[in-house]
Amino acid sequence: MIKLLNVSKRYDDIIALKDVTLQFNEGELIVLHGVSGSGKSSILSLIAAISKPTNGEVVVDGDTISMLPDHFASVYRRDNIGFIFQRYNLIPSLNVSENIIIPLIPLNLTQDEMMQKLEYVMKTFNIEHKRDVMVKKLSGGEQQRVAIARANVNNPKIILADEPTANLDKKLSLEFIEVIKELKSQNRTIVIATHDPLFFDLECVDRFVKLENGIVVS
Amino acid sequence: MILTPEIVTIEIINAIFVVFATITFVISLRIVLLWENDSYSPLQYKLQLQSYLAATIIKFILYIKILLFIFFVYTLDNIATLLPGAMCGAGVVNATVYGTPLLFLKIINLYLFAYWIVLHNQDMHTKHQKYIRLKFILFIVVYFLFMSEIVLETLMFYNIDILKVVDCCGSIFKTTDGSYLSSILSISDAIMLKLFYALYGLMIVVFFFKNRYIFSILNLLFVIVALISLITFFGTYIYELPTHHCPFCLLQRDYNYIGYLLYILLFLGTFNGLVLGFIDFDINTQVKKYKFALFFNGIYIVIVSYYVMSYFLKNGVWL
Repeated sequence: MIKLLNVSKRYDDIIALKDVTLQFNEGELIVLHGVSGSGKSSILSLIAAISKPTNGEVVVDGDTISMLPDHFASVYRRDNIGFIFQRYNLIPSLNVSENIIIPLIPLNLTQDEMMQKLEYVMKTFNIEHKRDVMVKKLSGGEQQRVAIARANVNNPKIILADEPTANLDKKLSLEFIEVIKELKSQNRTIVIATHDPLFFDLECVDRFVKLENGIVVS
Repeated sequence: MILTPEIVTIEIINAIFVVFATITFVISLRIVLLWENDSYSPLQYKLQLQSYLAATIIKFILYIKILLFIFFVYTLDNIATLLPGAMCGAGVVNATVYGTPLLFLKIINLYLFAYWIVLHNQDMHTKHQKYIRLKFILFIVVYFLFMSEIVLETLMFYNIDILKVVDCCGSIFKTTDGSYLSSILSISDAIMLKLFYALYGLMIVVFFFKNRYIFSILNLLFVIVALISLITFFGTYIYELPTHHCPFCLLQRDYNYIGYLLYILLFLGTFNGLVLGFIDFDINTQVKKYKFALFFNGIYIVIVSYYVMSYFLKNGVWL
């Protein structure tokens, strides 16, 4: 369970979040929506312990992750979070399998265990035929699938996606939604920040949270 | 006043460190006074961020200061050639009233600085930073000792008169002038040697029983006994001269700079042993610390004993 309790976030003079209180239950699919600058991405980065709030508390499974020292925040991210970025954030000088395997490196797994996990996600997200291709040579949709595979390779409990379909056409966006449905069926908690209208009619979404100027309005 | 490139280097580094240490001292005060573990207020988040910054600066300063101790000893030895009468760093230390207290303070600080670094590393590896207040309280204490060291160091270099004849180590470390130092140096070699080897033997025994407090005390005693026995007994075998009791000449080229190795080993060994009594490490780290202490102290013992045995085997007599 993820709880944001009276969370505020300031970036110098800009107030990104104002006294936000939210709760996301395990296995829920939540869509955060609102215009650019409304605070959607700030919520994701707080849940991922990438940044710390200016005030308030972020609690995940009973642990106040907003107060974790850097070392433990990294361990928390490594073990619990799969993050899909708007621009994918892949490493262009590495190929598909090398990009996907990165989150497994700090886990000290054996070569066999790593390969097993790699094969599983590449198959699940239909990217195994491109395994040795440099990611910079892939199309937007393929890069998206690599990013999803990377976010899932360590089997995280929480999937966070920041504007995941912003760079995709409608067909690829619908493919992405199918992937999200699949992840939800595996009881993952999924939080998507988006203003893509494609998400608003989805039946699989448990809740929509609308943000305006850092405040939850509905 | 004496100004060599080494002294200028030390003083410039000191000046830079004073600025940064003072900034972190102010932050440390704020953290000690205002830190609230269970608070999620803007102030608490700000303090947490500042604590990272301050701790990083402190860690950097203390690491460099530990390494600078070696450079300080080298500098003493190097400027000895400029002082009439001085044969090694001992003459420089004795050239002003500030030298001896400075040297003792530096040795104490060496252990305290290393302790702070270990405490900090431990703190960063506990989920709720249980040592955070302690480490910043300790830094506040360390800051005053650090500043005292810098003041004494500057006073010492400032007051060295290169025209004044100073005592050489043979005169400083003689055993017959009735001084406090000479009374320490007059302790029977047999007693010191029994203590020296017995303490190490006890460390091995305690290692099997895993009593970290006793092990820590043994290491404290060991560093004292090791230094005295080095001056009174083992040093004479390194110099191959029964009347030469200087702890500084060991650092010279004539003796293959063996002093640097011996002092570094002694520090690494005794520090790892001592720190066990002050921090409650997890069991794996504790075992590592025990082993490091026994290993480095053991090598120290082997090296100093080697000089004695080698002299005896070559000459067929003891000094």
